[in-house]
Amino acid sequence: MTFVMAVCVAACVGVSVYLLLGRDLKGVAMGVFLLGHGANLSIMAMSGSPVLPHDKGLSPSNLKAAPVLGKHVPDPALAGMVDPLPQALVLTAIVIGFAVMGFLLTLLIITNRSTGTLVVDRLADEPVCTTRTDTRSEPFQPAGALS
Amino acid sequence: MNPSFVILLVIIPALAGLACVPLVNRLGVCRIIGALGFALNLVLALSLLSPDRALVTQLGGWAAPYGISLVFDAMSGVMVAAASLVALACLVHAAGSLPDPAERRYFHPLVNFMMAGVNLSFLTGDLFNLFVAFEVMLMASYGLLVLGRGKAQLAQAYKYVLLNLVASAVFVIAAGMVYGLLGTLNLADMARITAELAARDALPAGFTAVAVLLLFVFTLKAGVFPLWFWLPDTYPTCPIAITALFGGVLTKVGGYAVARLFPLVFLVGDAGPVLQQIILVGAVLTMAVGVFGALAFRTLRRSLAMFIIIGVGYALFGVAVAQPGAIAGSVFYMAQSMVVMAAAFLACGLIETHLTTDDLRDGGALQKTHPWLGVLFLVVLLSIAGLPPTSGFYGKFAIIRDALGAGFTWTATVAILAGALSILAVLRIWCSTFWGPEPAVLPRDADARAAALARVPSASGYAALVLLITASLGLGFLPQGMVSLAQSAGRQATTPGAYVAAVMGPVAPAVPAVPVKPAKATGTHAAPADASHDAPQPPKAHLETHPKRPARTAPTPAPAADPAAPTVPASPAAEEFHVRLPATPLAAAPHPAEHRP
Amino acid sequence: MTSPLFKTAARLIVPLTLLFAAYIALRGHNSPGGGFIGGLMVSVALILYRLAHGRHAILRLLPFHPRVLVALGLGIAYATALIPLLFGRPLLTSLVIDGFYIGLGQRVHFASALFFDVGVLLVVVGVTVGMIQRLSEEVDAQALRGRKTGASAALADESASSPAAAPAPAGGDFK
Repeated sequence: MTFVMAVCVAACVGVSVYLLLGRDLKGVAMGVFLLGHGANLSIMAMSGSPVLPHDKGLSPSNLKAAPVLGKHVPDPALAGMVDPLPQALVLTAIVIGFAVMGFLLTLLIITNRSTGTLVVDRLADEPVCTTRTDTRSEPFQPAGALS
Repeated sequence: MNPSFVILLVIIPALAGLACVPLVNRLGVCRIIGALGFALNLVLALSLLSPDRALVTQLGGWAAPYGISLVFDAMSGVMVAAASLVALACLVHAAGSLPDPAERRYFHPLVNFMMAGVNLSFLTGDLFNLFVAFEVMLMASYGLLVLGRGKAQLAQAYKYVLLNLVASAVFVIAAGMVYGLLGTLNLADMARITAELAARDALPAGFTAVAVLLLFVFTLKAGVFPLWFWLPDTYPTCPIAITALFGGVLTKVGGYAVARLFPLVFLVGDAGPVLQQIILVGAVLTMAVGVFGALAFRTLRRSLAMFIIIGVGYALFGVAVAQPGAIAGSVFYMAQSMVVMAAAFLACGLIETHLTTDDLRDGGALQKTHPWLGVLFLVVLLSIAGLPPTSGFYGKFAIIRDALGAGFTWTATVAILAGALSILAVLRIWCSTFWGPEPAVLPRDADARAAALARVPSASGYAALVLLITASLGLGFLPQGMVSLAQSAGRQATTPGAYVAAVMGPVAPAVPAVPVKPAKATGTHAAPADASHDAPQPPKAHLETHPKRPARTAPTPAPAADPAAPTVPASPAAEEFHVRLPATPLAAAPHPAEHRP
Repeated sequence: MTSPLFKTAARLIVPLTLLFAAYIALRGHNSPGGGFIGGLMVSVALILYRLAHGRHAILRLLPFHPRVLVALGLGIAYATALIPLLFGRPLLTSLVIDGFYIGLGQRVHFASALFFDVGVLLVVVGVTVGMIQRLSEEVDAQALRGRKTGASAALADESASSPAAAPAPAGGDFK
């Protein structure tokens, strides 16, 4: 199972790095989302109870035990319980990723509307802020004004 | 003071932000709500500040390693107070300088939510909650960054947004790895476990790697050397009040995270020297890059942005030195740098309005026309450079003194040189804006210039500036209170035991080496709330007095009163709040991580 | 998307989805589920309704800006979180009543965290519906522009060819 998870994480992260390095912002956005999924999967892969180096006698069965209960499960009904914390963490990360996705898509649309391009190279031509040449070529806008 | 009220520092801005959402079109109301909220936060933070106590609250009443702890101690308190002050000033300035449409476009909710995230990241005692706080802060800052949708703003916003999103993913991975390695995400518990493991020379493999991943995340936010490049591109494109808020507050959150986490958790055992070297090299290069950037950039805003980077370099240098005095210097320096950098950008806004340009080569002779602005700006610049009577001095002095004392001769030399060069950079800015030649006006610019000059900067801009400068001068001339706070923060950072004791509870009854066979537990809430119900943690934990010791809270073994019979109150009115500690028998059992046979 | 088949199916699916959303949201206290998932499912239902009956139908269903839902949900969640402070408890402390009588001889395990979940649900619905409305407005406008001028902008590439299907990519992500 760990191997499968590792392959999934590797695939997600690999594809996302490829996309992130591209020039098209749509692809970059997809890369960011995929990276988030990779991160979430890696948390799931690393979940389970802590693997401390002094625990030599760990068996696979108690690796995924809930941390509070440990091996000393008070009730047989709870024996199959896994550590819920990583799932809570992943859920939080997913919620945040969802909000980020909405923001990024909106930003893409606005950018596309106001600049007409989503290619990084062409976006980069925009001046950062008023520089010497800009001041001379177009009317200066006072502090705080929105260019 | 009930420590539960620490959370108000986060809740007040969050509530203010919420109130501003439906009122977004009524600017006057929003401004008043926001200003009141930040002022209240400032007063609350100042009144809670005390060098020798830490207020700890456990959210939801869940005991320390299981729930989320919020810690208001000297270090976090100072940062919260400074951030609230800066936010207040920026809000006041924005009321005069931000165009109405931008302000209506959710400026007020976003600023308030951002400050909620910032305060939460200062206060939190939990690694994953730090991630959440970062995200709250970042989501709001993304919104603020593209506020007004200038083309340049949009183009540069991608740098900031995408880098931070990648950093967030790395943070998630690192938090997962920390949980996998240490079995906890509570900072105090992490500190306890790592100290224990380091003492046995048994740090898990990959510990240093995780620390470096976290360092990457925090230093990206802080703008430390290899990861500084986005900062002078993105911050200056915003409206100036937002630039001031970002420049003052956001980078310091990253710096604070390093100062909080690394001495506490990661600078232990074998990993310590390695990480110390990494932070040290990063800090020194950051100072160098920052100072050369400040000398080289041609626009006022970008030059000032480089001073943020210098400041972060100093702060991290103090952390890397890892002496109590140096960390105290870092804390002092970060807090004063927040105030001073925000003041510098606010002043920059006023100067731009008068000069109609932010290009330093265009020159300006503002001293003739605006002498008082000149005085204010000079005070700000000297504070940035850290000349003695101003507030910038103490922090740098403490850091460099301790660095020299601890044998960091070369790096301290670089820090001193950077300080000297930053004086030069500051003078360059001063000379070209206030003592420069009368700028030549091109015919094409004439109209814009006349229009800009006609636009008298509002009184609010000056009010905000004066507020921050008063605070900064107060720190410079009456530093005792702040120094004792910073020294307490430094001592605390170098003796993690005190922090651990404050968060996890001061009493650590001898944990039986053999796991107690737990009694039968029927459910999560079945445990009767016992003595720890009323005092989940001591309201005051005197940081100096607690010796370093493992402080696993084992709640007083409850009268294992019959968990099978949950309290069924006759009427809901008689219902008490159950404090949802993990079921007592389980909590009394030792942590599986430490006592697994 | 205006086919009678889809409309009829939507009429059946939307209430079922809402019901299931309520179930998921309520069981979330101790089992998988909760406000966020429930909120997403409610939004899915609303979006389905929007797809079936057009852009204006959802305005009849939610005759106010979705940000009102966000504010309301946040308000409820904050209130739930803050009330314990008034009693001197830490933030977010939950009031737990075992055997809360709900009538008809039934007792349930009740926690005040339920209201927090309801707040979260409202926030999620508000955010999601607002986001999708906003996004699809842009896509709609671009698609219309693309049809008129024949020039399709970069993002509207996929949807420009069939303007009627324009909202689909935006809504489809969440199914």
